[in-house]
Amino acid sequence: MQGPDIAWYLVVAAFLFSIGAAGVLLRRSPLIVLLSLEIMLNAANLALISFARLHGDHDGQVFALAVMAVAASEVVVGLGLIVAVARRHIDLDVDRLRVLRG
Amino acid sequence: MTAGAWICLLAPLAGAVLITLLGGTISRRTAGWVSTLSVFAGFGGAVTAFVGLVDREADEREVVTSAWTWLGSGGFSVDLSLLVDPLSATMMLIVTGVGGLIILYSVGYMDGDDEERRYFAYMSLFVFSMLLLVQAGNFLLLLAGWGLVGLASYLLIGFWHQRPEAVAAAKKAFVMNAFGDATMALAFFVLIWQVGSLDFVAAFEGAGELSDTAVNLVALGLLGGAVAKSAQIPIHTWLPDAMEGPTPVSALIHAATMVTAGVYLIVRAHPIFELAPDVADLAAGLGTITLLVAGFVALVQVDIKRVIAYSTMSQIGYMFLGAGLGAYGNGMFHLMTHAFFKALLFMAAGLVIHHLAGEQDMRRMGGLRRAMPRTFLAFLIGALALAGMPPLSGFFSKDAILASALASGSYGQLLFVGGAIGALLTGIYTFRMLFIVFLGEPSPLVREHADGHGRREGPWTMTVPVALLAVLAVIGGWVQLAGIWHPFADWLDPIALEREHLALVEPTVTQDYVASAIAVGLGLVGIGIAWMFYGARARPVPRWSAVQTTLEHKLWFDELYDAIFYRPAVFLTRLLRRNVEEPLIGGSIQGVTLGAREAGGAVGEAQTGYLREYALAIAGAVAILVVVFVAVQ
Repeated sequence: MQGPDIAWYLVVAAFLFSIGAAGVLLRRSPLIVLLSLEIMLNAANLALISFARLHGDHDGQVFALAVMAVAASEVVVGLGLIVAVARRHIDLDVDRLRVLRG
Repeated sequence: MTAGAWICLLAPLAGAVLITLLGGTISRRTAGWVSTLSVFAGFGGAVTAFVGLVDREADEREVVTSAWTWLGSGGFSVDLSLLVDPLSATMMLIVTGVGGLIILYSVGYMDGDDEERRYFAYMSLFVFSMLLLVQAGNFLLLLAGWGLVGLASYLLIGFWHQRPEAVAAAKKAFVMNAFGDATMALAFFVLIWQVGSLDFVAAFEGAGELSDTAVNLVALGLLGGAVAKSAQIPIHTWLPDAMEGPTPVSALIHAATMVTAGVYLIVRAHPIFELAPDVADLAAGLGTITLLVAGFVALVQVDIKRVIAYSTMSQIGYMFLGAGLGAYGNGMFHLMTHAFFKALLFMAAGLVIHHLAGEQDMRRMGGLRRAMPRTFLAFLIGALALAGMPPLSGFFSKDAILASALASGSYGQLLFVGGAIGALLTGIYTFRMLFIVFLGEPSPLVREHADGHGRREGPWTMTVPVALLAVLAVIGGWVQLAGIWHPFADWLDPIALEREHLALVEPTVTQDYVASAIAVGLGLVGIGIAWMFYGARARPVPRWSAVQTTLEHKLWFDELYDAIFYRPAVFLTRLLRRNVEEPLIGGSIQGVTLGAREAGGAVGEAQTGYLREYALAIAGAVAILVVVFVAVQ
C-alpha cells in the first residue's frame, strides 16, 4: 500500500504546529490557548507517527501514546485552573493574569 | 556514704529544676519551701557522708566516686567524679547547713515579692553550684562549679532587675569573676600540658616534677581565681556593690557560698602552693593588705550592709593569711565560724531592714534596741564574735590564725602586725555600726516604724534561723581550743596526703596566748574607741577631710580601674568603630548588598508576567537551537 510521500505528512505537521504556536502567542482566552497547545501536541504526534512509518518500527507510535496520556493530564490540570480562576470572578484573560511579573 | 554525697549534690539541683518546671502551678510560698527542703535534704546527705567518714580510719578518709567519664580525648580523660574527704565534707556541711537556714529565712524576707519562684530557683542553683565546686573530684569539675557559682551570683545580685544599680553590680561581679575563671583555666591548661591530668592526686604528684616556672604559673593562676572569687585586693571591688541584691543573697554569698571558695581552693590545692612558696606568701600578703584596707574603708561606710560586706572582705583576708602561711586548718576553722557569725549578722541586719521597710542607711537609724530587743541581742552576739571576743566563736578561730602568723618567721610576724591592727579596726567598725543602729535615741524613721506594723520583729521563718545561728556563733568555736584541744585540725589532717599533719606551722602555747592577748586587747580597745565616739558620744567624731574622702571612695579603686581599663577600652572601641568598622567592614558589606539588589532588579525586568512573551522566548530559543544544530551538521 503506497501513500503520499513522507514529506507531505511533515508539511502538515509543521503547518498544524505553526497554527498552534500562533494561537498560544496571539489569543488571550486561556481556553483557546489550551486548545492551541493541544494542536501543537497533535502536530508533534503526527510527525512522530510519520517517522515511525518511515523507519518501519514502533518507537514513534509508543512515544505518540505517551504524549496523548500527558496531554490528557495537562488538560485536566489546565481546565481545573481555568475553572478555579473563573469561580473567583476574575476575567479569563492571560494578559491580566500577570501577578508573577518581576 | 557516697550516696549521701550524691544526694547532697543533686538535691538542691532537683529543687531548682522542680521550681522551674512547675512554674506557676505552685504558689510562691510553696516554691520557697521546695527550695528550703531541697537544701536541707542536701544537708541530710552531707551528714550521712560525714558520719560515714568518721566511721573510717583516719588514713582511709578519702573516697572518690565516679558517675561516668565526662570528657575523653586521647590519653586525657576527666570523670564526673565526687571526692569525699574531711575537707569536702566540712564544706558540704557548712554550705548546706548555713545555706538551708538562709533560704528558710528568705521565705519570710522575700514574702510578697513578685518573682519569688525565680528567686528560690536561683538560690537552689547557687547552693548546687557551690556543692559542685567543693565536692568535685578533679580540677575541671571544680572549674565547672566555679563558673556556675559566678553565674548564680550574677543572677541573684541582679535579681531586682528593674534597678539599674543592681544590674550594674551584677555585671561587675560577673566580669571580675570571669577574670579569675580565666586565670584558673590557664593554670589548668598548663597542668594538662605538663602533667596530663586534672585529677587532684595525679596533678599534685605530677606537679612535684615540674619546673619552678611551671609550678609558679599554675599556683599564680589558681591564686588569681581564688582572689577574684574571694574578693581580695586587687579584684575586690565587686563585693561591696553586690550588696544591691536582696539581703539573704548577701548572706549566702558571704557566709555559705562564693567568697569562701577561694580559701577552699588554696587549702584543696595546698601541695601546689607548697611547691611555689613565693605565691603562697603572696596570698598571705594580699590577705593582710585586704584585711587592713577593708577595715579602714568599713570605718566610714554608712550603708549597714556595706559595713558588713567590708567586714567579710577583711575576715576572708584573715583566712587567706592563714592559708597562705600554711595554717590550713586554722583558715578552714575561721571559714566555718565566719559562716556562722556572718550569716547571723546579715540576717539580723536583714531583720532591721525589713522592719524599716527597706532602709539601709545607718544615718537614718538609731535607738532600735527598744523596738527590737531580740534582734539587738543577735546582732550583739554576731558583733562580739566578729570582733573576736571570748568565748565566742570568732575568738578561737581568728586568734589561731594570728598565732600561726606569729610562728611563721619574720614575714609572718610582719603580717601578724597587720592582722593585729585589723583586729583593732574590726572592733571599731563593728561596734560603730552596732552603736549607731541600736543605741541612742530612736530616730524619726525608727519612731515611724515603732509599732512594727504589728509584726513584732519578724515572722518565725526569719527569727528561728537567726536564733539558731546565734547559738552556733557562740558555741561554733568550741571545737578547738588553741594549744590544748584541736579535733578540727586533726580532722583535716588526712588531706595532707604525705605529711602527718596538715598545718605547716605549729604555734607554741606561748605564741597562742600572746596572740590571743594582743588580739583581744586590741579588739577591746577598738570597742572602747567606738563607744567613746558613737556610743557615749563623749567626743565628736574626728574628721580629716582628705582621709574621709579617700575612705569614702574606697581608696579610689573603682576610679583607678575606670581610668586604667574602662576608659582606654571605650576609647579604643570608638576609634576602631570610626576608622575600621564603619568605612571598611560596614562599607564593603553595603556595597555587596547594593550590587546584589541592583542585579536582581535588572534580571527581574525580564519577568513581565505575560504568558505570550514567555512562550515566544521558548519558541525563539528552540528555533535558534534548531538553526544552530542544522548549521553545525
